[in-house]
Amino acid sequence: MASLKRSFESDPFAQNISSKVYVRSTKSGKVQKIVREVYLRQDIPCSSRLCNACLKIAPRDAANRPIPFVLSDKPAGTSVFTQGHYIVPDTNAFLSAMDLFEQSSAFYDVIVLQVVLEEVRARSLPLYNRLISLTKSEDKRFYVFFNEFRLETYVTREEGESVNDRNDRAVRKAVKWYNEHLSKTSKKAPAVVMLSNDRDNLRKAKEDDIPAYSLADYVKQLKDGEQLLDMIPEVEERDALIEKKPGQFLYPEYYTLSKMNTGVRNGLLHQGIFNVSPYNYLEGSIRVPAFPKALLILGRENINRAVDGDLVVVEVLPKDQWKEPSTQVIEEEAVTKNENPDTEEGSDLISEKERKALQEEAKRTLAKTTEGHALPTAKVVGIIKRNWRQYVGHIDQSSVSSSAAQGRKQDSVFVIPMDKKIPKIRLRTRQVAELLGKRILVTIDAWDRTSRHPTGHFVRSLGELETKAAETEALLLEYDVQYRPFPKTVLDCLPKEGHDWKVPASMDDPGWRDRADLRDLLICSIDPIGCQDIDDALHARPLPNGNFEVGVHIADVSHFVKPNNAMDTEASIRGTTVYLVDKRIDMLPMLLGTDLCSLKPYVERYAFSVIWEMNSNADIVGARFTKSVIKSREAFSYEQAQLRIDDASQQDELTNSIRTLLELSKKLKQKRLDAGALSLSSPEIKVHMESETSDPIDVKTKEHLPTMSLVEEFMLLANTSVAAKIYEAFPQTAILRRHAAPPKTNFDELANQLRVKKGLDLSVESSRALADSLDLCVDPKEPFFNTLIRIMATRCMMSAEYFCSGTQSYPEFRHYGLASEIYTHFTSPIRRYADLVAHRQLAAAIEYEPVHPAVRSRGRLEAVCKNINVRHRNAQLAGRASIAYYVGQALRGKATEEDGFVMKIFSNGFVVLVPRFGIESLIRLRDLAEPEPAATYDAETYTLTTTGSREVKVELFQKVRVKVTDQKDETTGKRGVKMELVSTY
Amino acid sequence: MPLDTSAYSLALLRVDGRRWNELRRIHAQIRTQAAADGSSYLEMGHTKVMCVVNGPSEPGPRRGGVATGGGGGGGGGQSKNAEVAVNIVIAGFSSVDRKRRGRGDKQVFELQSTISQALAASLHTHLFPHSTINISLHVLSQDGSLLAALINAATLACVDAGIPMTDYVAACTAGSTSTYAANDEGADPLLDMNHQEEQELPGLTVATLGDSDRVAVLVCESRVQVSRLEGMLAVGVDGCKQVREILDRVVREKGIKMIQEGTVERGVGLNDMELD
Repeated sequence: MASLKRSFESDPFAQNISSKVYVRSTKSGKVQKIVREVYLRQDIPCSSRLCNACLKIAPRDAANRPIPFVLSDKPAGTSVFTQGHYIVPDTNAFLSAMDLFEQSSAFYDVIVLQVVLEEVRARSLPLYNRLISLTKSEDKRFYVFFNEFRLETYVTREEGESVNDRNDRAVRKAVKWYNEHLSKTSKKAPAVVMLSNDRDNLRKAKEDDIPAYSLADYVKQLKDGEQLLDMIPEVEERDALIEKKPGQFLYPEYYTLSKMNTGVRNGLLHQGIFNVSPYNYLEGSIRVPAFPKALLILGRENINRAVDGDLVVVEVLPKDQWKEPSTQVIEEEAVTKNENPDTEEGSDLISEKERKALQEEAKRTLAKTTEGHALPTAKVVGIIKRNWRQYVGHIDQSSVSSSAAQGRKQDSVFVIPMDKKIPKIRLRTRQVAELLGKRILVTIDAWDRTSRHPTGHFVRSLGELETKAAETEALLLEYDVQYRPFPKTVLDCLPKEGHDWKVPASMDDPGWRDRADLRDLLICSIDPIGCQDIDDALHARPLPNGNFEVGVHIADVSHFVKPNNAMDTEASIRGTTVYLVDKRIDMLPMLLGTDLCSLKPYVERYAFSVIWEMNSNADIVGARFTKSVIKSREAFSYEQAQLRIDDASQQDELTNSIRTLLELSKKLKQKRLDAGALSLSSPEIKVHMESETSDPIDVKTKEHLPTMSLVEEFMLLANTSVAAKIYEAFPQTAILRRHAAPPKTNFDELANQLRVKKGLDLSVESSRALADSLDLCVDPKEPFFNTLIRIMATRCMMSAEYFCSGTQSYPEFRHYGLASEIYTHFTSPIRRYADLVAHRQLAAAIEYEPVHPAVRSRGRLEAVCKNINVRHRNAQLAGRASIAYYVGQALRGKATEEDGFVMKIFSNGFVVLVPRFGIESLIRLRDLAEPEPAATYDAETYTLTTTGSREVKVELFQKVRVKVTDQKDETTGKRGVKMELVSTY
Repeated sequence: MPLDTSAYSLALLRVDGRRWNELRRIHAQIRTQAAADGSSYLEMGHTKVMCVVNGPSEPGPRRGGVATGGGGGGGGGQSKNAEVAVNIVIAGFSSVDRKRRGRGDKQVFELQSTISQALAASLHTHLFPHSTINISLHVLSQDGSLLAALINAATLACVDAGIPMTDYVAACTAGSTSTYAANDEGADPLLDMNHQEEQELPGLTVATLGDSDRVAVLVCESRVQVSRLEGMLAVGVDGCKQVREILDRVVREKGIKMIQEGTVERGVGLNDMELD
């Protein structure tokens, strides 16, 4: 009888085969045991340029190209390892101090072990991705050594040994092997040093004679070690602290993950994104599907260490604890000013002042709960996912002790983040003196139950507060804008000819394939003054049958940016070009954006054209899409174009065609408004700069010219036409843009305010009804009132978003603001990635080129949409913040009196909008007079009446006279405007 | 958590430590069940299958007890050629999720019919009219390349059963190191995919007839760029040749052993075989 049984040893392969067994639990809670094969080999190179033995066994890929060796033959030394050294960090070193490894001053020639890489991946995907990008960077010289596949460095788990201990042993074995291996190459071989923050691991390494240091000890050996020291989080100290004072917990403990999961599934707990109110740092809210309105989370204890943006689980509080949203402004700096960062542990969770603020709040709400205004409140019971990032801030001057400002002693200070929604961060640093008055970048490491504030560590300094460079960089970091110069791999994707690139002269050239020759059309572009990246150009001409041919020509970016190359990937990450007052952060390299793609006048350019036939009523008779070659006759600014139209003596063909376009655009606009398109408003202003120093000198509101809506109308039309076309071709994967109808409850507050204060009615049934009722919101005495209401209505809207057509049903495609059934972005491919994707889809739809898999893989498109939605929003916010900064700079040292309007009213202050500068600012009661006047706030009529030291009555929508000055906010370090109430009208 | 297939580019190593052109360990035995006409046991990595062949046999008076899954090759009953009936049982414990497959599982039907047609191309079915060759395959453990392992096991069992055939039908899988959507021009082809690679990467199964480049089976169920297909196919066909060598060695070793043990007499054709 033959037997299936066989001895493992008899197999010639056996010694090279091992298996990896691990257990994982699935989403449904099942436990699975996974067994994987591991083939152990001896041809994994050490990748040191010193080693000749490994060079022979360097692996080759299918095209027979060997992998280049990474580790330098002349690695840098330290005070201990003068002969040079390679670094082998263990997992906790990467997890706690990834910023350190990204430094350009040190940490070169790093060996990343496979076992470490696997552990990093299991613990944190973002950190894993950062580590992977380090291994891909050529100058940092990070090499991934697959120690688990190399026979000599593979270790099997011993009985009773924990996985962590086994992995630590694997790291030590790999370090040992490396040292022995390299010692064969030469006498003065570089040392291989293990870095770990695990004391146990370090001790065992010392026993085995393996060079090993803790991060702090290692950094001290480096030349500029002092500065790097701050970037090491103090894990050990924190551990000791917990041991010391077990009873002193300030915050309730989080629930276990399984308890939260069951709770959420049963509907007892709710999961959502935690948001902090911009006016009150002790009030948060969370939107959960189970409730139509957001749940309130009030007070430190209920917020329980959640930070704005975290994904949290909350529990609804009993009904007797339900409250009204606060009508008071509470700012963290004002309330917690005098806290001492060092004597943290002993104090109560809620400080005396906070308690007072809450007390007042409670009194007010108690009086009203009977009226049934109370909203459900909740408390945070656990955190699913932290949304911590790096924060820009500055050190709170008042938290610095005088001795720390001089010495090199490590000291605790508070960092106040620029973003007011983020709590103060406790930071331990040795360089307080240098960092005072600087913009700095910090990250949060942890937030323990024993600590009132989160603890973090210093990443780097951006420069002096209020210098242009530091503030701009701070802004870009805060809004996560990718502003580093384009890497070489991206620039390699540009056409070889550079600026000399031209449309090929010969029509037989492959670039001309399927392109319409539109060079003889009278095409021109109309843009803001000084615009370099010209996305679009237009033409119109009468047809023999009395209709008009109208063309919109868009820069053919997809010709230059091919899917999935480095440039495309970079652009998809950047998502959009960001416009700041003095700076533009491009999505695509300059060469393309401002030259080769840009539809500059007098030169031939590739374009993607949408051409309609329209009758004189601006009804579309037919439309066609084609790639083309055009030659723009002129690049007008809005003002120039307007002058030309208005000048009756200009009767040339080009001017007349612009006149035709203007006529048609007016009809298009009327049609759109008839369909219910909203004309919304946001305060738009422009900062005038001195041309040489680029210092801001004046602020103006933007003027609106008819030529602007000319361009806008045709762009909207092109976008709509293209949207319909790509949806027809790719019903599942077309990239579209939608604007959801806002929930009615969003307008409750505004409608009520209008009814009470002005006796006006706001109907929100449809966009048409809203548009009509907004038209009726006028105050004959105050022309700006209508704009004010439009600004406030705009803030009640949802934001528009990109999406992939397969993810929504057709009725959901609607663009509420434009009252269009379907919409996309097509007309600005130089500055928006969504447009580039739409270009590729349209090109495939008209069978110009085969469908590229990247533009029809739904999963990928969804990821792209998700990213560009975020980027788009951040770009807008960054642009606004930049304007706000420059307005502050422009007003520096000036004091002007302006008219303003009350937009929002609290029980201890009110917000005034000044249309002249497009700024809004809070005026607190204590700003009105000294001492702070007493006030009564009537929430029913939105009236705040002060008595005592100054008597005024402030109502919502009221016109007021304010004095606008600049002021450097000591707490946030921002220069902002400060308003003082002069008089009420 | 172990790394996934995207880590390949870091050091040209796959998730289990192989290079792009390496097979997993293949272990095979024949004549594992003395009672059957032919039998085999085959492991490709952690994919473990066994095969039992009965026949060719003329149908008895009452036939139909045997489930005829894939009757694709040859006619059956009254036809001139023997019918190759393949029946696959996938044990519930063979995969991690322990999913029980019912009798009417379409994927199993497809496997059966593919194997049946592949073997019918090599077996001399015309020698056995009106009869049936019953091939029973049992999957004990799954770790990718299941179809390839089943074909190889069936070939070995047919050899053991002594059914005349033109040559071995040897199969293996080939894949590519990056996904379809990544559209990476520099993607390497991969030989012999395990379960994780099959889940994450595009792949195909190919079987060739003996030493030749004649392809007997080609199954590709994932999306992959046409430009990568040629490389994958070349690597796959090359892999089939290596598999054939291994199968051939297994058969020869067993033959030598049987002669040494006196189970069979030394035949004429075995003169050229080295017995020590």
